[in-house]
Order: sequence, then structure tokens, then C-alpha cells
Amino acid sequence: MLEVNWLHLIPLLPLAGAAFCGLVGRWVPKSWVSAVALSAVLLSFLVGVTAFREIAGGEGSPLQIHELVYSWFSVGRLSVDLGLTLDRLSGTLVLVITGVGFLIHLYSVGYMDEDPGYWRYFAYLNLFVAAMLLLVLGDNLVAMFVGWEGVGLCSYLLIGFWFEDDAKSYAGRKAFVVNRIGDFGFLIGVFVLFQATGTVSFASLSGVALPLATASAAAALLFVGATGKSAQLPLYVWLPDAMAGPTPVSALIHAATMVTAGVYMVARLSFLYVQAPGVLALIAVVGTLTALWAALIATSQQDIKKVLAYSTVSQLGYMFLGVGTGAFFAGTEHLLTHAFFKACLFLGSGAVIHGLHGEQDMRRMGGLKRHMPHTARTFLIATIAITGTLPLSGFFSKDEILGQALRTSAFSFLSLTPGSSITLTFLGPLLWAVGTFTALLTSFYMWRCYYLTFEGEYRGPADVHPHESPWTMTLPLWVLAFLSIVALVIVLPPELAHKLHLESITWKHFTEGLFRAARGGPAREFAYFPEIAAYATALAVALVGWRVAVRYFNAGPQGAARAQAFAARFPRLRRALENKLYVDEIYERIFVRPLWAFARWLWRIVDAWIIDGLLVNGTGKAVATAGAWARKFQNGNVQRYAAVTAVGIALLVFVLLTRG
Amino acid sequence: MVGPVHYLVLAAILFALGAAGVVLRRNAIIVLMSIELMLNAVNLTFLTFSRFPLLPAATDNLGARMMQGHAAVFFVIAVAAAEAAVGLAIVIAAFRSRRSVNVDDFDSLRN
Repeated sequence: MLEVNWLHLIPLLPLAGAAFCGLVGRWVPKSWVSAVALSAVLLSFLVGVTAFREIAGGEGSPLQIHELVYSWFSVGRLSVDLGLTLDRLSGTLVLVITGVGFLIHLYSVGYMDEDPGYWRYFAYLNLFVAAMLLLVLGDNLVAMFVGWEGVGLCSYLLIGFWFEDDAKSYAGRKAFVVNRIGDFGFLIGVFVLFQATGTVSFASLSGVALPLATASAAAALLFVGATGKSAQLPLYVWLPDAMAGPTPVSALIHAATMVTAGVYMVARLSFLYVQAPGVLALIAVVGTLTALWAALIATSQQDIKKVLAYSTVSQLGYMFLGVGTGAFFAGTEHLLTHAFFKACLFLGSGAVIHGLHGEQDMRRMGGLKRHMPHTARTFLIATIAITGTLPLSGFFSKDEILGQALRTSAFSFLSLTPGSSITLTFLGPLLWAVGTFTALLTSFYMWRCYYLTFEGEYRGPADVHPHESPWTMTLPLWVLAFLSIVALVIVLPPELAHKLHLESITWKHFTEGLFRAARGGPAREFAYFPEIAAYATALAVALVGWRVAVRYFNAGPQGAARAQAFAARFPRLRRALENKLYVDEIYERIFVRPLWAFARWLWRIVDAWIIDGLLVNGTGKAVATAGAWARKFQNGNVQRYAAVTAVGIALLVFVLLTRG
Repeated sequence: MVGPVHYLVLAAILFALGAAGVVLRRNAIIVLMSIELMLNAVNLTFLTFSRFPLLPAATDNLGARMMQGHAAVFFVIAVAAAEAAVGLAIVIAAFRSRRSVNVDDFDSLRN
């Protein structure tokens, strides 16, 4: 471990940029705002690269570099330092956050050009980058929680960026409230860990062996936080609505970085999660169900950003499947590749929306390939990547997750309480099957999205003339598309990487020793199903999804008619999927309305009646009544006073004398 | 034989008369006079116990023994004189503003 004194520059630079944009950005030219915001993130990226070179060097380079910024607070047993740790996991994420973050800042210069809230936008975006970097770099749970809340705040601010629109500001509020539910769990989890160990720092916690019940409780509570932040069942509902924010925000916060914080947290706390095998299984199941659920909804959405949003939820489900099967490296490597191709997809959709003057409905798109060739090509590359088609990065990272699920040993040793041991060997293959089916759906809805948007004939109104975006927007698209392709070298399977002499840079090799192994041991060879068959299956489902999408959505009017006829055969399912499986409506019934009723009861009865009426005004009235009664004695008649005094003294003397 | 009880009963009657005057009479000047009556009832009590002490004397000097009660009486007379001066001044000032010496009229501190 190497102690340095410059690591704090990484989150501090964007923070300073945020302060500049937020405090004086209003009164300086727009070019100054973008210059400061962009250079802050770029400088942060360069410091990140410097730091990364320290740890990524060959033999003898330190495993992590650390900076103790200052002792934050110390209360009783609890003492928290603001420390930053950059190891191979957080270092890579720093590069992704600042790198992709810079590209998205650059893209925003073109996208937000006309917006009156330009300075405000860049202040929030810089603040987000600073908070995300703190989340990733923090060397203890409290620092991580500060970043965790910071990104939540920025997410809220940016979703409701156009707050004059009630629906958008409501979406921001929804995201905030749903995240609060998760954060509550996270906080309790931190308390449980502190109560059990007396420390919150990752370094100390990783050396502690916890009792099974404590480990399970803490791990499950922290995972509740992850379901909120990373949009998993049952708390995923805020992410589709978060698309109300500007599209670059959706790309940066709601696809590439913030929503993966939960996956990062589970991977960072792998030492805790391997001590709670039951919770790991729960994570894998939740992740898989989320992936399937969101993919089903995504097949029937008409809004291009909604498709991508559900796709993000679904891909996050894959990541949780990865970490849940104890394959932390697989989950995090999908996190990395997903950051590139999903950011590219979102920015592409932003370019489309920008070029169509705010149109988001895919039914009024089509044929845009001719008008926006750069956007179409980069979108195509990212689509191939996300569908898991050879040879792009998404194929290997998704297949690694599915392969690990199929062969995992994490479920052969499940126990929530000491003594009991349940073996669920069938669970891994089951999750693999569901995940593979989800991959088919993924391929289908992404190709559907691509074909409806870019192929066929233009179906929008005639007075809208689609146009390609300026270079500040297409350049990030190409860089991200390029990264979606080359990221495959870090996710190559070991055998292949070995042959190509690229083994040392594969993610699995790079993060060796960073994550703990699950209690059931590493993934084993699955005798009945050789690896090559798993690859073939993955490729086959991707191609089947593609063929189906081509048949319905890239076959002209004939295909559209076929799609209509097919949908007409399942009218109820179709309607349910279009309405997002009525989850929002169900939540509205079960949680929101009772909560509103409860809140109204608290307001009308407890607050207005008991607190205001009975306690506050009641105290005043009691004093006033007592005063009105006591006032009667003050009649101003001196002789009455004298009489009362005399009688009083007489009584007093009498009592004193008789009591002797 | 006249003993201390006779004096004390007389003092009590005087005190009661004074107190009744203070409480019952409406004329402020009479009220002041009644207060003087009560003070003099107290003086009489002092003198009684000066003449008929309850405890064995601390000193054999008869003059010194009797002077204790007398000294208190002189104080009371001095205070009573001052009080009468102030009281009468207040009554005159009140009379000037209210054209009355009836204590029932002086109730502006009511409620």
C-alpha cells in the first residue's frame, strides 16, 4: 500500500468546478462555464490515469494507493477518517467515471446549448462526478454513504432539471423518495456492521469474521440500499421515470455510473457477502427476476428512452446475477462494458431526440439512418454489443455472467442460521436458463428499437426535418462506440486470452485477489454442458432475437402487419406490457395511497388537532383561563387585600401555635 | 390585682378594633388612624412583656431589663410617625386627583 497526498484531487477538481459553475456561472459567459466544467473533469481523469499507472504497473507495484485526507469525526467508539483508496477496482471505475463523464460533458455542450439553465446544468453534473468519485474512492462505509447520498441528490436535481414541468419535477421526487427507502436500509446495514465490529473502514472490516446472522442481516440491509440505487425489484420504478431528465444525464447517471453503485458496493464488500451465502443467493434471484421483468416490459415500450431505461434495469439485473453467484469479477466486468455501450446508446437516442426537436416516440421515427449516419452507425455498434453478439464486448461479459451462474458452486452451501445447510444446486442452472431467455428478449427489443428508429421509412410529421448533430455530440458517440468494441480485450475468456497473450489485461486476471471467493468454492466445470455449448447457446439466442426483430420490424409494411397480427393474438398481455405490467398502479394502490391517507391523518388529526389544537393552543388557553379566574382576586380594593392578609396571617399564627 | 393578662386582653381588643377599622371604614383618614391604633396595641404588648417578662432575666439590672421593650416601642412610635406623614401625603395627593377620600374609589389597579 502506497500513501500519497494527491489522491483527493480526483474528487476535489469536479467539486471545485461545481462550485464555480454554481456560484458564478450565472454571470459569466457560457464558454467559461463549459471550459471550467470540462477541464475539471478532464484534469480529474488525468490524475486518475496517473494514479492508475501506479497500481497497474507490473510486478512490485502497490496493490492500492491510499490517502488519509483528514480525521473526520470521532464520537465515542466511532471514529471516521475521510480516507480515499484507489485499488484496481476503484481505479478502473475512476477512469470510467471521469472518462465517460468527460465525453458526456462534451456532448452536453452541444445538447444543452440553447438551455437557459446551462450553468446550473454543469454545476449539477460536476457535483455528480465529484460525489460519484467519493462513493467509489471512499475507504469506509460512511464516506461511501456520503457519496451515495450525493449522487442521489444530483440525480434528483438533474431528473427534475426542467422543474417548470410538473411531470418532470414529480419524476425527480419519485426517484428521491424511492431511493430514500433503499438508503434507509443501507444506513441500518452500516449501523449493524458498526455495532458488531466497532469499525466502518473496509480495511478493518475485511479482517473480521462475523457471526452468520450478523453478516446476513448487514448484507441484506445493504442490498436493500443497492436495490434502490441500482433499480432492482422491487424498487426499480424510479429509473424509467428518471428519463424525464436531459438525455446526457440519463447516459451518465442512469446508465453508466450511478445506477451501478449498488453492484460496486456488493463487489467492494465481497468479504461481507461471502459470509452471507443466503443473501448472495437472494441477490442472484432478485437480479435475474429484475432482468427478466424489465426485459419483458422493454419489448413493448414506444418511447425510445423508456426502452433504454428498462434495458438498463435489465442489464443491472445481470450484474447482480453475476455478483450474486459469487463471481464478483463477472458482475463488475459487465458493469464496465455496459457503461460504454449503454452510454453510447443513450447519447445516440439523445442525438435522435435532438435531431427531431424533442420527439421520443419511436412510432414517429424511422429511416433516420439517411439523415444521421454517425448516430445510426454508433447506435448499431452499441446495439450489437448489448445484444451479446460476437465479437463485441457485451457478448463476453454477459456470457461470463451466465456461464458463472450455470457452473456456480455458491448455492451448494446455503445457510441463514448456523447449523442449517441447504443445498440448491439446481438454482444456478435455473438462473442460467432464465438469464438466457432474457438475453433473447434483450436482443429482440434492442433490434426492434434500432429498426424502428433508423431503418424503414420516416413516419414523423413532414415539417420536422431530421438533422445530424454537431461534432461535440458525434465525437463522444464514436469514442464510446469504439470503447464498446475494444473493451472486449479485457473481458476475453481466459483460454482465448491466453492464446492471444492478452491474459494479463483481462479483468479476471487484473482483479485477482481483490474479491473473496464464495463459500461454496469457485465455479466448477459442468460436465454435461461444456463451455463451448454455453457460448453457442448465448450466440444462438442473440441471433434468434435478431431474426425475430427483423421479421417484424424490418420488413416494411408487411412486417408491421405481422407485428400487429401477432400482438392482436395476446391483447391482454400486450396491454399489460405497454402499461409496464401495472407496477406503478399497484404501488399506487398498496403503498402510495395508504401513505397519503396516513399522511393526511397525521396532518389533520395529529398535527392540526392534537399538536396545534390540544398542545400548543391548549396550553395557551389553559393559562388564559387560569389567569381569568385568578384575576378576580385583583379587584383593586385595598381593604379586601388587608382583610385577606389579616385572615391569612391569623390562620398562619394559629397553625404555628397549635402545632407547637 | 392587675396582671399581664389584663394588659394583653386590652391590647388584643385595641388591635381588633384597629383591624376592623382598617377593613371596614371607607374614609382613608380613618383607615390611617385605625392603623395607628393597631400599632399602639402592639406597643402595649411590648410594654406588657417588658414589665412581666416570660423568661428568667439575663441580667440583674432592672433598668436594662425593662429598656428592651421600651426601645422597641420607641422604634414603633418613630416608624408610625413617618408612616402617618407619608400616609397623609398620599391621601392628600389622592384627594387632589379624585376629589375623594373614600378608599373604594381608589381601585384603578383592579384586574
